Amino acid sequence: MAANAAGTCVVIALIAVVNYDIIARGLFNRPFLGAVEVVQFSMVLIVFLQLPDVIRVGRLTRSDGFLGLTRRRSPVAGKTLSAVIDLLSGTFMVIVAIAMWPEFVEMWESQDFFGVPGVFTAPWWPVKLVIFLSACLCAVHFALRVVKDLGSLGQSEDAAT
Amino acid sequence: MSSVDIGMISIVAIVLLIYLGVYIPIALGVVSFVAIWIMRENIDLSFALLKIAIGDSAMEYTFATIPLFVFMGLIVSKAGLGADIYAVMNQGFRRITGGIGMATVGANAVFAAVTGSSIASASVFTKMSVPEMLRHDYNPRFAVGVVAGSSVLGMIIPPSAMLIIYSFVAEQSVGEMFLAGVIPGLLLAAAYVGAIWFMGRFARGFVGGKAVEEDDLMTWGEIALKTLPILSLIVVVLGGIYLGWTTPVEAGAAGSLLGILIAGLRGRINLKSFWETLIETGHITAALLFLITAASMYARMLGIAGLPNALQDILAQNELSFFWIMFLLVVLMLFLGTILDTASIILIVVPLFLGLIETMGLSLVWFGIVAVVAAEIGLLTPPLGLSCFVIKATLDDDRIKLKDVFLGALPFAFVMLLVLIILIRFPILSLALL
Repeated sequence: MAANAAGTCVVIALIAVVNYDIIARGLFNRPFLGAVEVVQFSMVLIVFLQLPDVIRVGRLTRSDGFLGLTRRRSPVAGKTLSAVIDLLSGTFMVIVAIAMWPEFVEMWESQDFFGVPGVFTAPWWPVKLVIFLSACLCAVHFALRVVKDLGSLGQSEDAAT
Repeated sequence: MSSVDIGMISIVAIVLLIYLGVYIPIALGVVSFVAIWIMRENIDLSFALLKIAIGDSAMEYTFATIPLFVFMGLIVSKAGLGADIYAVMNQGFRRITGGIGMATVGANAVFAAVTGSSIASASVFTKMSVPEMLRHDYNPRFAVGVVAGSSVLGMIIPPSAMLIIYSFVAEQSVGEMFLAGVIPGLLLAAAYVGAIWFMGRFARGFVGGKAVEEDDLMTWGEIALKTLPILSLIVVVLGGIYLGWTTPVEAGAAGSLLGILIAGLRGRINLKSFWETLIETGHITAALLFLITAASMYARMLGIAGLPNALQDILAQNELSFFWIMFLLVVLMLFLGTILDTASIILIVVPLFLGLIETMGLSLVWFGIVAVVAAEIGLLTPPLGLSCFVIKATLDDDRIKLKDVFLGALPFAFVMLLVLIILIRFPILSLALL
């Protein structure tokens, strides 16, 4: 996953930037202006570039005691339940994407920026774009999970008959 | 139907969905989205709030502490610092009944000061400490119980991911929350050691174990070599924050760099494991921050529903005393602890009580410590004791069942409850260092 690798590299960048700021400020009295903005931006990158991968490997926080029990009692009911859950989750990510898209268009047109003018500024639109793309990718991953759930559902029914 | 009713129904719906197995952030996000829509009869408002929650939460500067401290914790585990401090502690406690148990608690307390997660502590110490105790004929239940109980220290002794999350919800400074966690964490560690001593004295059967024969003792030089790296990390991280030299974010970054250096110098990492550590960091950060994002949407929904105010009015009408409010809070958290993980409990319960605590003139820093400790008890209790699951999964030993882990952890959960009561009764314990 390219997004995953990129998100991972940002973690290193984050460590590097903050340390550079500490050393430059502490020893040479020349703080790295804009460290705060770069940190904020890298957080967005880490979170939203990694989120699709978190979904792909199934590490999103959940309490699956009941789901596991249902799966053991009745595989068909368990798989249907998890397909419904993934469908709900995918729908939510689509809503997020719909919510973010106008934001991106607006920022792209206005070229708004954050940070302190004259010291360090960064445009808003890449932030919004990353979140939008991430939400789309998350929705796709959830959709794939639904297909997988339902696909194996068909198989287990075949096996039963 | 009033807004307050819808708010109440939403909370019940969220808990129900989570119980069914819906991803926690999705449950929070979807229900809040729909609830705001129904309350205001305006879907545009739902979209607007969703946009703000998603866009702004991740931009919070202090959240950079999460990947940095997570990374630092993972890299020091890889560097074997946990094993080192454990070996040293073991030598110190070798002559006492239950000594290996005490060493586990002590080592966990020190290790907790460089990691922010109980899960990391639980898996590291399960691998080292449980086999060691079994080798010395300790009762298996006691062995896993000690590891489960002491793993909780990872989330109370700073740096702790839970304290960071609380500081976001309650708008408190991360640095202050960290300092407030020091004494309660040490108190809990001391209480565990006391409890082990007590069990060794009066419940010999539960502890088991035989005296450790005089193994080759480490020389002072070896001890120094094993303790200095971890001590230097603690000094850099906590010392920097305490003296005000570094912000928590900077302390995390400096600690991460130092962690990489230590692991590198010892030849404990290569490019592959370094990369894996980074990916793991990214995954944990993304999952946690997505949860926080959804929870901030939920907190806004509660505000719109006016639920915190309503709760305040109800409690004021009934003239509940401080004791009963705290009693209700603790019972609620213990109950939620049976289905939710610690972060979710804090994110769901704290926004409900914040206003109330503030109007009662109580310290929000103190409340944070109480909330985190109360939520952490859930790590040790069935059916969703996360620490216990991690131990069972890491152990890979069919002789020890999940039931044994929970039973072994029970005395430690009880000790935690006692410490929680002491922390509630004496707020000064949390506030002394500020």
